[in-house]
This record gives sequence, structure tokens and C-alpha cells, in this order.
Amino acid sequence: MNHAEKAEVFNKDEAKVNWHDKALWYVREKRDTSAHKVQGWEYLRELGSGIKANVLSNLDEYLVQFESNAQKNGVIVHWASNAEEHNKIVGSILDKHQAKKVVKSKSMLTEECHLNPFLEKKGIEVIDTDLGERIVQLAEEPPSHIVLPAIHKTKEEVDVLFQEHLGTKPSQGNPEYLVSEARKHLRDKFLKADVAITGVNFAVADTGGFVVCTNEGNADMGVHLSKVHIACMGIEKIIPQEKHLGVFLRLLARSATGQPITTYSSHFNKPEEGKEMHIVIVDNGRTEQLSREDFRASLHCIRCGACMNTCPIYRRSGGHSYDYAIPGPIGSILSPGKDMKKHSSLPFASTLCGSCSNVCPVKINIHEQLYKWRQVIVKEQKQPIIKKSILKVAGVVLSKPNLYAIAGKSARFALKHAPKFMIYNKLNAWGKARDLPEIKNENFDEWFKKRNKDG
Amino acid sequence: MGREAILKSIKENKPDLLPIPKINADAFAEDINLKDVFKSNIALVGGNIKEIEKEAIDLEIKALYSNAKHIVSVTTKSSLGTVSVSKDTDPHNLENIDLAIVEGELGVSENGAIWVTADNSMVRALPFITNDLVIILEKEKLCLHMLQAYDNISQRDRDFGVFISGPSKTADIEQCLVVGAHGAMSLTVLLV
Repeated sequence: MNHAEKAEVFNKDEAKVNWHDKALWYVREKRDTSAHKVQGWEYLRELGSGIKANVLSNLDEYLVQFESNAQKNGVIVHWASNAEEHNKIVGSILDKHQAKKVVKSKSMLTEECHLNPFLEKKGIEVIDTDLGERIVQLAEEPPSHIVLPAIHKTKEEVDVLFQEHLGTKPSQGNPEYLVSEARKHLRDKFLKADVAITGVNFAVADTGGFVVCTNEGNADMGVHLSKVHIACMGIEKIIPQEKHLGVFLRLLARSATGQPITTYSSHFNKPEEGKEMHIVIVDNGRTEQLSREDFRASLHCIRCGACMNTCPIYRRSGGHSYDYAIPGPIGSILSPGKDMKKHSSLPFASTLCGSCSNVCPVKINIHEQLYKWRQVIVKEQKQPIIKKSILKVAGVVLSKPNLYAIAGKSARFALKHAPKFMIYNKLNAWGKARDLPEIKNENFDEWFKKRNKDG
Repeated sequence: MGREAILKSIKENKPDLLPIPKINADAFAEDINLKDVFKSNIALVGGNIKEIEKEAIDLEIKALYSNAKHIVSVTTKSSLGTVSVSKDTDPHNLENIDLAIVEGELGVSENGAIWVTADNSMVRALPFITNDLVIILEKEKLCLHMLQAYDNISQRDRDFGVFISGPSKTADIEQCLVVGAHGAMSLTVLLV
């Protein structure tokens, strides 16, 4: 199913879509309020973008520097070209420690690599400990948002899930009760875990340290209670110097949820005595994206989710309609680079309104890249005949002003007088589930001339 | 395995070297009362904050957390500790700690974050596993924003450190904010 078809499934529950739409827009508004409070916010975004551009232009050097500094601190560094290597490396660390119980905090990379099913096949229990991720894990679904993984679930649905899996009492979806039960359930998992896996928000080349941000405290509960910490990062998570954290931590949470900073910004440099700390550095298609001049800025992304919250398509189609670990506008420019055939409908899931680019904390030109992917895809992927022939006709009509005027007139006449079934049918996607606007007798050109004449 | 292949691929595909932007700190300068803004941001992120005299610390904590029995204090500024810990304490034994009292190194006015190091908490897990958390912070130790904060901590011994801004929280169930996820259920900052 392509994006539009999947979105149609999500749109069957109108009340839920409306809630989803409003909830995410509310988060976008909180982002605005929070950003406007910061003196020099736009300059901060420029710095974020500039630092990331420098990172990409010197990425190999920074990675080597990071590795050597981390090793000096007693951290074990691994490299993985792809998802399979990543999973194998994590698996072998777990084997070495005969680990059977793993707690994991949010990591879009391990989601991208499908680490959980790989480990589960080996008989290892993997528990996602971010509450939203735990909810979707229990529901056997992927996250639908990178910051708000269970945003597509109602509290009543969570209630039923928890009754089934955690043995809670029916509470009609009381959030306080459900969170307190999840706290008890996951505390037990933290206390019994052998190994903790986390993602990495930022890895600092000049210190060899890395930062993990959470609001719940789940990354720290996992890491500090288990013997082994495995941190998995994409190569693009590197920043040159520790002081640059001062730029990115100011941008991240404000862009994500409107908070001035996440509750916990944990800085890991050395393992505790008697414990092990591993870092797995993963490529998995990133160096290929780096080679694409038009699309490499997508690697600036710091995974805040602001582009999703603001996107009129994402808000009304839901994260699952994208069928990729990273949904929304940023996912739609990352995913075609991974598998153009599978994700070819995603760059079209946009109005190109540019709101995503406007809120992006590292100034990725997301909507321009969406437009560029469309051009690549139309050339390389087979397009439906209807779309092709309509566009051909449109090309001819638009190149001839007289023909355009006639076409406009007849279209306005037809739309006014033709029977409903001829206008609202499968050929007209704009007439799906809504009425077309009232048809005027004149076009803009005629209206404008008349207006000038009338003074 | 992947190391050489990844580095080679980056070398082949990276753009020409771009400079690291210089940060012009003046762009972020603000003439504000650090303490007032810090206080209002602590409240914004769900924490309590009180400005008191050093001598009143224990009295204040007793009043706020009168039911706490298992208390770990890793600061000389409070003598309320009932459970002693050392660097070798197994963090699993802290499962039932009601209250932890630690010192913070630095407060950040723009976001209410407080820098707490492994030294401050003795056991890394302590500020997370405790039911409630009190952080004592000297009011001279406030800075304007995160860039200044990293300047101030740049000379530290780097092992583990965390910026804590408020109690643990989640909004993962229908965007309803619930305080008390996996970390501390409440945070009180005592500014002395």
C-alpha cells in the first residue's frame, strides 16, 4: 500500500484523526512559544546548521577522533556498515555476558535496524522502557512518531493493553494510574536487567563522550543498574566539540515538545568501575546519502520531530502511513535513499508548504528536498498512466495562453453544470470526502482586469 | 569489520571542508535577573524551588518530606541521611530509597537545569532511583544559558554528569502530562 492508501485507513476514524491533528498542532504551538522566548533563536538555528555542515565535511576525521578519545576513556568502540552487522555486534556483546534480559531506551537507529526481533529470536527478552515505546511494543506495532511513539493510541486503548499485559484494573484510561502501573512494571525490569541499550543524541569528537536525553529517566535507570551499557549511534550523530552541545541542547527539546530542555541530559564519558561501556557506530546507508549532494543535508537531522508536528499531511495521516522508522517530512527525504521503490510515494505526501523547513532547528531544506526527490522518482519509477497523460495534456495547455483560457472557461462551466457523478469520482482526488469550493464565472486574470478598470 | 569501509566511503562522498562556525556569544546576551528566571523555569518544568539560609536546610527538608524514612544524603550540608552509601554501593540496594539529598554544581537560568556529577551523587543511579530528590545549589552558581554552562564545566574530570531539569515526567498517554515516570517523582531545589 502506498502512503495515500495507508492514510485512508487512518482516516476511517474521524474523531481520532481530528484529535491527532489538534494534539500535534498544540505541540507545534508550544514549540513556537518556547522558541520565541530565546534571545537569538534564529542565529542559534544557523549555528546548528553550520556546525552540522562542518561535521559532514569532516566526518571521517571526527569519527576517528571520537573513537580514539572514547577508547582512552575505557569505552569499547565497534563499527557496523549495515543493520545486519549492527545487530550481530550487539548480539555478540550480549552472548559474551550471557545476557538474557535487556532494557532499551529510545533509539530510532535500533528501530531502523530491527534489533528487537533479531534479539528475540536469540531468546533474549528486550524491553522498551520509554513509556510510549513500551505501549507500542505491547501492541506489537512500530512507533508512529519519533518523539511521541504512541501518539496514535487513545488512553482507552492503553488501558485495555495494560489490563491484558500488566494485569491492571480497568480505569477508563486514567493517565496517572496507568503511568504509576507502568513505573512499577518497568522498575522491576530495570532491577533485573543484564544489559542496557541506549541511543545517542550527540557524540562529541573532542572528548569521546556522548549525551542521551530523556524526560522519563529510563535511559539512566537502565544504564546505571546494569553491568553493560551498549550505545548505538548513526555516524551523523557526531559534533566537533563539547561546547557545541550548548547549541544543540538549546534547540532540541524546544523544537521537540516546547520544553526548555529535557528533564535529563546525561553525559557519558567513562564506564563505572567493574562495568563495560560499548559504542556501536553505524552507517546503514548514511554514507550513500552523504554522496547525494541534493539530499545530504538530511543528515543534519537531530530527531526532534518538529517537522512532523507541523506537517498538515502527517497530522492527518498518522505516522504508520509512512511505513518507515522515521515518518513525516524528514522520513520522506531519508527513506527514498534507502529503498526508492518501497518509499516512492512518500515525497508526494506533502503540500510543499515549507512549514517543516521553517521549524527545523538545523535548517534542513526539507520541502525543497521533497520536491527534488519527486523529480528523481518520476524519472526512475514507473508512474500511473492517468497521472502521466494528465500531466502531458496539462503541459500542452499551460504552454498556450489561448488554449489555457478556453480550458479554464469550459472547466468552470462543466464544474458548475455537470452532474455530480461526473465531478466526484475516482479521477478527482480533490473531491474525495469533501466538496469543491464554489465555482466562480471568471478566472483570476479576468477578475483582476475588471477590478483595475473599476478602480 | 565496517570501520575501514565506512571511513573510505565517507572520504569519497563528503563535500569540501566547511569551517566550524564561530559562536558569537553577544547574540545571546540578555540583561535579566538570573535567579528570578531560574526560579520561574524550575516551576515551569514541574520542580519546587525555595531560597533559604544554609542553616535551615534540614528543617526545610524535614518539613517537606516528613514521611521519608530511607534517606541518602551525600552532602555535608545536610545531616538527615539514614542510609549511608559509598562508591561501592550496589545501586540495586537503593531500590527503596525515599529521598536523596545531593548538591548541584551549577544551575542554568534559561531552562532550570542543574548539573549533577557522579561525585555529587556518589552512586550514579541515586538521583534517578530515589523516590524524591532534593538538590542543594549555591545561588552564586547560576549562569545564563547552556553555552555558558559548558564553559563553566569544561575543566571537569569527565566520567558521568547529568543536567537535571525538574522531576521525571511523561506525556506518552494521550499527551496528558504525568509527573513521576521512571526517575524521581518530585524535585525540590534548595537555593542557599
